[in-house]
Order: sequence, then C-alpha cells, then structure tokens
Amino acid sequence: MTGLSRPVELVCPAGTPAALRAAVDAGADSVYLGFRDETNARNFPGLNFSRDELATGLAYAHERGTKVFVAINTFPRAGAPELWHKAVDDAARLKVDAVIMADLGLCDYTARHHPELRLHLSVQASASSAEAIRFYHEAFGIRRAILPRVLMVPEIADLSARVPVEMEVFIFGGLCVMAEGRCSLSSYATGKSPNMNGACSPASHVRYTEKGDKVVSQLGEFTINTFGAGEPAGYPTLCKGRFEANGRLSYLFEEPTSLNTLSILPQLIAAGVTSFKIEGRQRGRAYVTNVVKAFRLAVDAISRGETPPDIDLDGITEGGRQTSGAYERSWQ
Amino acid sequence: MSNPRTERSRPVDPPFSPILLAGMALGPVPPRFLQPLFDAILAVVRRRHPDILDRLTAYPDAVIGIDPVDLPFVLLLEPKPDRPRLTVYRDFADLPVTAVIRGPLAMLIALGEGRLDGDAVFFSRQLVIEGDTEVIVALRNAVDGAGIDMEADFAATVGPLARPLLQAARVGGWLFRRLADDMALVRQALVGPALKSADAQAARLNELEGEIVTLRRSLRQREQRT
Amino acid sequence: MNGSIPSPRNGKLTIGPVLFNWKPEVWRDFYFRLADEAPVETVHLGEVVCSKRRPFFAPHLAEVTERLSAAGKEVVLSSLALVMSERERDAMRALAADAGDRLVEANDLAIAADLAGRPHVIGPFVNVYNEGTLAYLAGRGAWRICLPAELPATTLAVLAAQALAEIEVQAFGRLPLALSARCYHARSHNLHKDGCQYVCGRDPDGMPVDTMDGKPFLTVNGTQTMSCRYVNLLGELAGLRGMGIDRFRLWPQDCDMVAVARLFRDTLDGRLDAPEASARLADLMPGTEFANGYVHGREGHAFVAEGLGLS
Repeated sequence: MTGLSRPVELVCPAGTPAALRAAVDAGADSVYLGFRDETNARNFPGLNFSRDELATGLAYAHERGTKVFVAINTFPRAGAPELWHKAVDDAARLKVDAVIMADLGLCDYTARHHPELRLHLSVQASASSAEAIRFYHEAFGIRRAILPRVLMVPEIADLSARVPVEMEVFIFGGLCVMAEGRCSLSSYATGKSPNMNGACSPASHVRYTEKGDKVVSQLGEFTINTFGAGEPAGYPTLCKGRFEANGRLSYLFEEPTSLNTLSILPQLIAAGVTSFKIEGRQRGRAYVTNVVKAFRLAVDAISRGETPPDIDLDGITEGGRQTSGAYERSWQ
Repeated sequence: MSNPRTERSRPVDPPFSPILLAGMALGPVPPRFLQPLFDAILAVVRRRHPDILDRLTAYPDAVIGIDPVDLPFVLLLEPKPDRPRLTVYRDFADLPVTAVIRGPLAMLIALGEGRLDGDAVFFSRQLVIEGDTEVIVALRNAVDGAGIDMEADFAATVGPLARPLLQAARVGGWLFRRLADDMALVRQALVGPALKSADAQAARLNELEGEIVTLRRSLRQREQRT
Repeated sequence: MNGSIPSPRNGKLTIGPVLFNWKPEVWRDFYFRLADEAPVETVHLGEVVCSKRRPFFAPHLAEVTERLSAAGKEVVLSSLALVMSERERDAMRALAADAGDRLVEANDLAIAADLAGRPHVIGPFVNVYNEGTLAYLAGRGAWRICLPAELPATTLAVLAAQALAEIEVQAFGRLPLALSARCYHARSHNLHKDGCQYVCGRDPDGMPVDTMDGKPFLTVNGTQTMSCRYVNLLGELAGLRGMGIDRFRLWPQDCDMVAVARLFRDTLDGRLDAPEASARLADLMPGTEFANGYVHGREGHAFVAEGLGLS
C-alpha cells in the first residue's frame, strides 16, 4: 500500500458542547452538529446547540484548526419555513464552515441568500446516483455529497468518476437500513416523522417493560423486540426489531448492529471517498472520544501507507455486533 | 402515559463491591440524615453546571427516580427550573415517578462524568430504565453535555482544603479499586459454580418457552386453515 | 393532455403503478380491465420498486398503453424510486428520452435533470414537504405532484393553496413507507438479492410482517416496506376537495380495483355518502384493516372516524 497524496477528512459528531470539545481533542478534522430544535435529524431530548453554544464551540474548534458543519437536514414544515431559514441565516452569520441539508426548497433558499456559504448534501437527500448528485450540484452548487448507505464500494468508485463534488461516506455508527430521508416507518408507528420532526423511533414513544427476566421494548403500540436475561439489548429502532414473516421470527430488516468499516477504509479511499463520517450525535462523550481516537489512528496509519490497526470497538456498538453494511454486496 | 412499575420487581443485581458493604452499613441510617449531602450536591450542580437544568426545561413536571442498586436508598430528581429538588428516600413506594434509572452507584457516577457511554451500558443490560424513556434520554444528554468532573467540582466546593483532600481521595480511590477487584474475585469463587448451574437451568427454560411459542403458532395456523 | 373524462369537476382519480411483482398476464389483464371498466382519468405504468422485475411485463407494455389510451385514459410512465446501478441509470435516461409526449413520473431525482423544462409528474417517492420545494420543482416543469404519504392535512392545504402544480393525494391501498438496497423478501427466504428466485412474486399483495406478539404491522414487497393497513380516505375526500385538492391516487392491490375505483368515483360525484362507501369497501375485502392517521396528523396506522374538520 502506498501513502496518500491527499488527506482524508475525519468528520465527527457532537451532540453537546462537551462532545464537541471531546471530538476536537480526540483528533477530529471536522465536527458536525445541529441546533436544539426540529431543524436537524437528531432532534433528541436534551441534545444539540443553542446559538451561543455554537459560537463558543466554533471558537474552540477554529482555534485548534477543526472545521464545524451545521446540519439543517430535516424538511421544513409547510407554512412555517422561517425556523429553517433562520437556522441557515444564523449559521451563515456565525461563519460555520458548511451547512448540511437535504430539502430542495431549503437548498434553493440557501443558494440564493447565502451564495458564499458552503453546501453539503445530507445523507437524508438519499442521492444515490451521479445524476441525482449532479442535479444538486448544478442547481444549488453543492460542494460535497454524503452518500446514502445503500451503495456498494464499486458503485461508489463509479460515482466518483462522474460527480464534480467531494464524496463523504459513513464509516461507523448506527446504520440506516432503508434509504435515508425516504422512510416513514417511524411515523407510521408513532406519528413523529424523522423528516419533519427530526427523530426516528423517538424516545417519547419508547417503552421498556421488564417481564420476568425479559425486557420487552415497544415503539408506540408495537412490540419491537424482547431480550432474554443477559442478552444484549437494543434501542427499539423500528428497522432493527424482531418480526415474524414467512412463518419465521427474525431480524427481518437488520440485526441490532453498528456499521464498522475499519477493515475496508483503504478500499473506500481508493474508490475516491475524501471524507469519513462517524455517526452518533446522540451518543455521549465517552463514545465520541473512543471512536474518534480509533479512527484517527486508523486514518493516520493509512496515510502513512500502513495497514490500519485492528481496534476493538465492540464495547460501544449496539448489540455488540458490527457490519460493513451495504458497502459489501453480501449485505443486500 | 402510565406510571412505571416502581417496586423492585427485578432490580439489577448489585455487584459485590465495597459500595454494597458500605450500603449495608448505611442500612440503619434514616434517609433524612443523608438529605443534607444531596442538597449540597444539587447546589453544586446548580452553580457549576446550570446547563444541565437548562437542557431539562422541557420537562418541568418530570419526577426521575435514580436507584443505585447497591445502596439502601433511592433518589428523586425533580428538575423544575425555578425549584429543582434532589430528595433521598428509602424506596419508590407510593412516589409519583415518571421514569426510573437503575444501576450500581459506580456506574451511575461514571455515566455522570461521561467516562462511560450510556447507550453501551444500557445495551449490555447493566443499566435498566423504566417509564418515560424521553425524560431519561434528556437527563442522560444533559448530564453528558455538562462535562462534569467530580474532582474539579469537589475542589471548587471545598476551596483551600481541596489539595490535601483530593490527594487523600486519590489514595482512597486506589484502595477502593484494589478492594473492588479483590471482592470481585471472592464473589467469583463463591458464587461462580452456583451461577453456572443457574445459567444452564435458564437456558433449558428458554428452550422450553420457545417450543411453547412454536406449538401455539402452529395451533393457530391449523385453526385458521380449518 | 387529458382525455374526455366524465365528472372531472368533482375530482380526478389516478391508478398508481402496480408496486407488486404480478405475473405478466395478470398484470396485462389488470390494465385491460381498467381500460374497459374503471372510471378513472389516469393510469400509471412502470416498475417503481425493483428493476429486475421490469423485463417480465415489458413485452405487454405497448399493448397495455394502447388499450388505455384508446379508452381515453391518460397514461403516465412511472420511474424507479431508488436508482443505483449503471443499468438502472441507463434505463431511466431511456425512459425520459423515449416517452415522447407521454408524461413521465419522476420517483427519484436521478431522472429529474432529464425531465427539466418539460411537463412531468413528481411521484410520492420524491420528498415534497413544503412550498419552497414545490415552487422549485414547479419552476422546472413539474406539472402534477403526488405527495408523500406521511403529510398531514395542514401541509396538504398549504401546498394546494400555492396553485403551482396539480396536487395528488394517496387515497387507497397499502402505503409505501420505505425503500432499501436490501431485499427483505429474499432475506426472509434465506436468499440473497442477486439470487432471489423472484420470491416476491409469490405474494401478489405483499408479505405480511407481524410483531412478536402476533399483531399485524407491515408488509414487505421486495426491497420496499409498506403498511399492513390499507389507507382509505373516502371519509376525507370532501374535506380535501375543500382545500383545492382535485386528484386522488388509488394503489393497485390484489382485489377488485374496478369496484374500488367506482366507490371513489361515486363518493366524489355525490352518489354515495362516505360511510356507505367505506362499508362497501370493507365488504369488498373482508379482513382488511384501514387507516387514515397521517392526514389527521396522527400515526400512519391510526384510523380516525370523524373525517376532516375544516378549521
């Protein structure tokens, strides 16, 4: 393996100012975050940034050479786009390094009102083809696309030859099984939509009930899973539940598992990916520190032309299991 | 929204640790004697980490039960913005809790300091939550986001005495960890064999349960066909 | 562009593309019967869910299109909802290029560039949630927009009031809820997508997905996940018409779709009242559960009996 001519950017999650400092200190090249409202897709209770916290976080990050991206990646509510417009205006005013968005109307607003603001296409836009990515580039000048987690490595390589923008992929964390931004499973069960309200399988509709030595997890009226004594539990994200189909009880959509691409990072780089994104704005500081440190080591090793070290991240993954997801054909 | 079951129907098994022994020693102490300690802790939180309560303003009526399973008392956190309270009780009996979080004290403290990942300990079943999940998630995020450092908070609170006290605490911490490790070893030796046979029985029970579900299902399918 | 159809004044009906993997002759006969008997203005053709299915019905496409056109139906060609591979991208380009003067429905932005500047339809798999997106797409030639399933009536009203494109609302059938790169039909049979043996064809109305405690929940259709319950907006038609929504989509299910279309037509035309039409709909498909929660701002699976309060 040879060393890299261009560095790969490590883009890390921050749900709170403390997590932002943890990510910066652990070696993040960039940090992404959201405002404390429904303008971003991790609108979880007690999470995210006020305007003041963003200003402070920006200063902390910029002093240490780390960039800050703001995700404004839900779909504005009809009749009330002001909250989303204000989020864009404030991000621009505070001089963030980029905004991440998915909605066509909001991209249009940003391109017209803040032509100098760097636009990244959110994974929530589910732009899975060169044609779709080019569309956003030509229409709104997006500079980077975060690829949906439905593509295989050869498809990513093929894309990179055809799109005039940087390509970012998720390398670790909670894995969406469905095409992102085009999934209404959560709203079907709970009435709360990830696209509109910013949270999938929201905690407000989650119940854990202890039954004997079992734990039953429910989302709205629906049982999502049951865990026996000692069995690793999971959050009742709808697509990672156990269901009965075709006469069989199974994890029909996906096992409670985390994406981990540590073993295929070099292939992703060879495919033309220029930034690696870690999922988990809703996870704590301990998670951010551990994961960012691990991937900092890995990326640095690869850029020196070495094989990335085998790092054990079992302890912080859901269900204690990991997958390289759709990046490999066997997943489909 | 229904209240969670608050009786200790299936508490997390307390680990055999120095805290458990200390808890036994505390057993006869009425909770009200401990209350001043928790009033002081809440005062420090309000002064040094106002953002915790700030992030909980959406839940002014929440009553969060905190159950350190290795201690003989429980805590009630009411994050009312103007008048937050942290009250110690013997148990949750008849208390109107909206959500409960249970786990060994050392783990709860590690969570508070952000040294442990909440999702991870929950996934591994060392932590149990019941009731309004949203409130618990909000609390977790608020506490994690505050960047609590107990040593620094302690130092800021006790002022000039901080240095010697901290040093003593560090030695104490080292002793504590030694003791905890030794006790884990003793526990393993004492209860290991019993646990093994209990595990085998549990596995057999699970197997039987699975067979019953299958039988029920095929019965239902047969009924549908006829 | 419309044929001479009775009662357009009272609202129009669209039959969406068949989302399931039906046997080619069943697929053909379904459309033949629609052409001959269904009181609908518009019929969609094309594979939306899985590009591997298209070769099966493709030989019948020309005769079906001809029969529908001859019967005065507007034919719309629907595109794939999740475009990934080179083969799929080429197919989409060809679809746009070969459509001639027929309308094409874009279900992924991959085909949007090819349709820019000419009249086209935006399908329910493209995220149109607000007036900004609506205006942007209308400005590029979107002429009709079928909105995503999860939008509440408050949003539908705002979008209809823009009067920039014809608004279509999903009013009958299993709701498309999610798409994936992974095939759950194949997975449930322990098969890989590449060697799927087209097991989705065994379930002409989708594969039921129940919770662990036996509660019907979802439906799998290959790489697509749908609702278990059929949406039924018969009770909301009047309220939606009052907001200026004139077009309703009926998704083809494995049932008498001509009878379904007649119930919607008769309700729109005032020959049947909504409760009576809903009762007859339930008689047509015993055991089927219905939902209308989304339009009421509730869980998608919920059923609200009251109809739409127009406040």
